[in-house]
Amino acid sequence: MEKSESTKIDVVETNKERKGKAPLLGKAPVVAAAVVHAKGGGAKRGIAIFDLILRIAAFASALGAAVAMATTEETLPFFTQFFQFEASYDDLPTFTFFVVAMAIVVAYLVLSVPFSIVCIVRPHAVVPRLLLIIFDTVIIALTTGAAGSSAAIVYLAHNGNQDANWLAICQQFGDFCQRVSGAVVAAFVTVVILIFLVVLSASALRRHH
Amino acid sequence: MKAGALELGHASKVTATVPQKGVNRGMSILDLFLRIIVIIATLGSAIAMGTTNETLPFFTQFIRFRAKYSDLPTFTFFVVANAIVSAYLVLSLGMSIFHIMRSRAQASRIALIFFDAAMMALLTAGASASAAIVYLAHKGNTKANWFPICQQYDSFCHRTSGSLVGSFIGIIIFILLVLFSAVALSRR
Repeated sequence: MEKSESTKIDVVETNKERKGKAPLLGKAPVVAAAVVHAKGGGAKRGIAIFDLILRIAAFASALGAAVAMATTEETLPFFTQFFQFEASYDDLPTFTFFVVAMAIVVAYLVLSVPFSIVCIVRPHAVVPRLLLIIFDTVIIALTTGAAGSSAAIVYLAHNGNQDANWLAICQQFGDFCQRVSGAVVAAFVTVVILIFLVVLSASALRRHH
Repeated sequence: MKAGALELGHASKVTATVPQKGVNRGMSILDLFLRIIVIIATLGSAIAMGTTNETLPFFTQFIRFRAKYSDLPTFTFFVVANAIVSAYLVLSLGMSIFHIMRSRAQASRIALIFFDAAMMALLTAGASASAAIVYLAHKGNTKANWFPICQQYDSFCHRTSGSLVGSFIGIIIFILLVLFSAVALSRR
């Protein structure tokens, strides 16, 4: 009986010693990897917070552009016997496209805020960031399309074109022109912010190793 | 038996990493291929727009009716933007080949994403501005008293409308390029 007890104790001790040694050897690289993981997480969280702030700024700019274009309506104080001189955004189909496109961009930016918050809460999640990058790129294309086409029409309205015999209508509708030009500028600001957002998401996607 | 088990474990590890590396390499090769397609598309657009020159067969005593791309500043911007994007893509081919060889590059991939997004914005701005002018040339605008010039300059109109197609194809492929770079970044 004594022998069996002593052997039992011996076995237990050696087991404990083995258990005590092996994790110590194996823990060091695990701890180092965990530290790098946590540091990467901190930086990614900071990037995600900045991403959210920029997204709200882009939303404000896009909303300003859409509203500024949609509320244009100028009526000149003189009129002939047949019609009244008025200008609003739906007189030019390009401006109608601008309002619709900016409305879509505003809706997208509002819907993407929860994804951004998910990226803040879980800094190492890959799928939300990937989704944000791809949809942000598509929205860049849409916004630049709306802004570019309206910029071409605004340029034409300011300068006219002699070869095509197109008159510069800004000379008559001054207030309308200013409003519309301001909306185009706001749309281009949105584009710049969106490009920055894509680069941020890309830099947060990389794996720290 | 132990050695056999070890060998089995080692072999399973190797087969696990090879498909991931293979997918990354496949995406980089597809990226290179798509880039070459966009070069052809944007170069074609620039040349198609840049070689427009239509002279109408009648003329008055004072002026000759002629239409070129440089008559409209927007078309000039279109040609310049497509040329810049073509040049950038040729330069980025080298970067793409570097990514095929080194799948682990991260900082250069992020730089490539930034430049791809910026060039896509430039291309889209040029294409959409020209699309607006082409639409105006086809339909005119009665409220602004702008006459649709396509009714007179038929061949000029066809040329300019056709050159927009290459640009728009380039925009769609640019979106795919950014997607591939982002997926390659996240997979490492």
